[in-house]
Amino acid sequence: MRWRIAIVLVCLMAAVVGLQAVQVRQGGPLAGSIENVLYVRSPEAMKRLALSYDLVLADIYWIRAVQHFGGARRSADPNRRYELLYPLLDLTTSLDPYFRVAYLFGAVFLSEPPPGGPGRADQAIALLERALDAPSRQWEFAQAIGFVHYWWRQDYEQAAAWFQRAAKYPGAPEWLVPLAATTLAQGGSRESSRLLWQEIARTADEGWYRSSALHRLRQLDAMDELDRLRAVVEAYRQRVGSAPAGWADLQRAGYLRGTPVDPAGAPYRLAGGAVSLDPASPLNPLPTEPARLR
Amino acid sequence: MDAIRTEALTKHYRVGFWRPRPYVALDALTLDVRRGEVFGFLGPNGAGKTTTLKLLMQLIYPTAGRADILGRPVGDVDVRRRIGYLPENPYFYDYLTAEELLEYFASLFGYAAAERRRRVATLLDEVGIGSERRLQLRKFSKGMLQRVGIAQAIVNDPEVVFFDEPMSGLDPLGRREIRQLILRLRDRGCTVFFCSHVLSDAETLCSRVAILARGRLVASGHLSNLLAFQVKGWELVMTGLTGEALDYATRVGHVARATACGVDHYALDLPVAAAPDRVLSELTARGARLVSLTPVRETLEDYFVRQIADAPRDRELEVSHTDAGR
Amino acid sequence: MRVVSSVALHVFKESVRDRVLFGLVGFAALLIGASYLIGQLTAGQDVKIIKDLGLAAIATFGLFIAVFIGIGLVWKEVERRSIYALLSKPVRRHEFILGKYLGLALTLLVNVAIMTVALYLVLAYLNTHFTDNARAVWPAPAADPGMLRAIGLILLELLVVTAFALFFSTFSSPFLSAALTFGLWIIGQFNADLRNFEAVVESPAAGYLARGLSYVLPNFAVFDIKTQVVYALPVPFSQLMTTTAYGLAYIALLLTGAIAIFARRDFK
Repeated sequence: MRWRIAIVLVCLMAAVVGLQAVQVRQGGPLAGSIENVLYVRSPEAMKRLALSYDLVLADIYWIRAVQHFGGARRSADPNRRYELLYPLLDLTTSLDPYFRVAYLFGAVFLSEPPPGGPGRADQAIALLERALDAPSRQWEFAQAIGFVHYWWRQDYEQAAAWFQRAAKYPGAPEWLVPLAATTLAQGGSRESSRLLWQEIARTADEGWYRSSALHRLRQLDAMDELDRLRAVVEAYRQRVGSAPAGWADLQRAGYLRGTPVDPAGAPYRLAGGAVSLDPASPLNPLPTEPARLR
Repeated sequence: MDAIRTEALTKHYRVGFWRPRPYVALDALTLDVRRGEVFGFLGPNGAGKTTTLKLLMQLIYPTAGRADILGRPVGDVDVRRRIGYLPENPYFYDYLTAEELLEYFASLFGYAAAERRRRVATLLDEVGIGSERRLQLRKFSKGMLQRVGIAQAIVNDPEVVFFDEPMSGLDPLGRREIRQLILRLRDRGCTVFFCSHVLSDAETLCSRVAILARGRLVASGHLSNLLAFQVKGWELVMTGLTGEALDYATRVGHVARATACGVDHYALDLPVAAAPDRVLSELTARGARLVSLTPVRETLEDYFVRQIADAPRDRELEVSHTDAGR
Repeated sequence: MRVVSSVALHVFKESVRDRVLFGLVGFAALLIGASYLIGQLTAGQDVKIIKDLGLAAIATFGLFIAVFIGIGLVWKEVERRSIYALLSKPVRRHEFILGKYLGLALTLLVNVAIMTVALYLVLAYLNTHFTDNARAVWPAPAADPGMLRAIGLILLELLVVTAFALFFSTFSSPFLSAALTFGLWIIGQFNADLRNFEAVVESPAAGYLARGLSYVLPNFAVFDIKTQVVYALPVPFSQLMTTTAYGLAYIALLLTGAIAIFARRDFK
């Protein structure tokens, strides 16, 4: 009798787990749609409802933000828009204003243009401006606002102003002042960009924050390499009289030793005399350079 | 087929949370109850009487041994159609009325609605609950709850009934009614097994008894057999007994005490050592006349106390000895 | 089966006479009626708000009823010893558990029905206040029969909660049972987040553990289609079926567990 009940229990448990798995695959009631996830839209209302559980709820919204972002990124839908990212991060940081990681995540990924992100630098800045009330490491948030202005809005005056402001907060690293100066003088140049990203890569302690900075650095390296490759192609054209058909021509002519490869490992393309990144390279899309510096 | 039969029925508990020690609630009880008899299951508080009843009702499971009711093992659901049980200090459901409670229990036996109503009405009359039957049970006094309890125990005209302290909470009138009810049950052929620590009830009702102390059976058998050889003394009632005859008898030691019942009319208590016929003849020779001569037997209470005093004391020690022996 | 229905009817009768229950249901119906007044304050959003409030009231009061009666179901009988007399009758232990559960299910059904009727009455009354033009803009009619799907799933969710309460009631005190049942209900609301835990933790072991737990622990969020019915969004039939099957499977699991525990219990 005892083992018969045990068998029934095991079967029912298996049924429960199986049905749960089916439901997960089905996606649940309103998979991905705004209404369900944000049944309470207003952060103020949420704060009131949360009673004393705001920190736990902040964590839960953080989990959902990361999940939403990751899910949207992985999805094959060309129209994915990351609509929930800002509301979720907004709720997270309203419930827990000291949730540093959430602010930085917003800084990096809210401003990223499609298809990698929603491309909303304004939302990123709005989020970060609230972070300045945090009790410590304000310099980091001010600096993040600076880099959003710098990199995505290409507003070098604003960026320099924010770097200077960041330098005034307690605990700010020394490189912020020279960074501000460089930005003002040659904002948009690869040197100042490289400086910015190198410092961020050095000081960031979140893995994804650092790899984001390293990604930018590799892009900058790729841009330098592209310039050099274009110079080589030009030199070949002047010498031979026609554009090279492929890398083999340049190798035979002695200008190159092997097939050039970008910092991410994808080979560069040479087609019709023009050098570019391989379309499949993860370094795409390369950042645009301001016209005055090209 | 016996009504109830147990073989080495044993129940151990583990007492204590951190280092549980075994506690012997019942130790190898073997007894049988014949059909149609009124059987008294006696013992002091904590002897294991309620444990035995719960084992018989399969409210708890035995550690060892077995028990049968009406030839079927305990726990057989069909046998429960033919038995009834009154728990000690019964509690039922506050918000039901007495009628509804009995209807509920009757419905569990599968009677048709009309039959249920008839039974409920008759039963409530029989146990002496009148107009209160429409009141919710939370308004009932202890005595009335006891009567309801008895009613629910016999709602199915059982062949065997188990009563745990049936007289508890009843006033003398109530006790008399219940005594008569038990006798009526017996006359109908029902076997009555009841636990009590009120010995006078057992004395008047039971044909056989068992005495339990600290989990063990210390005595069992017909009441008359148990008490037969324990004559404590004699009561000799004589009339026409003169004062000098009485003085003589007292001086010689024949008479322990004399109680006057009228003019020259005495009830004499003779000690157990005295030979009553010799005393009778001596007093008759002095002119007294015999009214009655009755042996004074040990009461059940005396017997009971004597048995309990002899019973083994330590329950845990017993277990460790038997375990070592195994 | 006859025994089970006798026990069930008895549980129903007992709970109907329990004042606490009356209070809860009365209050819920009153709240639903009062929501009409709240609707007056919010310029045109009345119907949506009343639907929201009404469905939330049914879910919340239903939850309290389910927990507070469920936890006492078995414990009270054992503690007060009324179970002694009951089990001496021809009642098998599993019939006792099933009867108790069905009785409570019946109680819940009646309470939810009362609250549902109150809600529909308020909505039907409100409907008369609006012109046809205004009504054309609504995603769903005021007294929308589609809401019954949401209420049905709410009822199923309550039945699962009740099964939990009954399960705990077979071996622990009411206080602990209530705490465990409420706790599981809360965890069940955030089951999806538990599953996604591995996205934000460093250690893969913690991530796997969380994911495994999310399969075993109840998932109550799937029973919530309030938003869909209020906005008249479609709910696929297959999803309703899966959710219903899930609820029934969980109930069966819990009842079997309760029976297994109860069957071998000693009633001291």
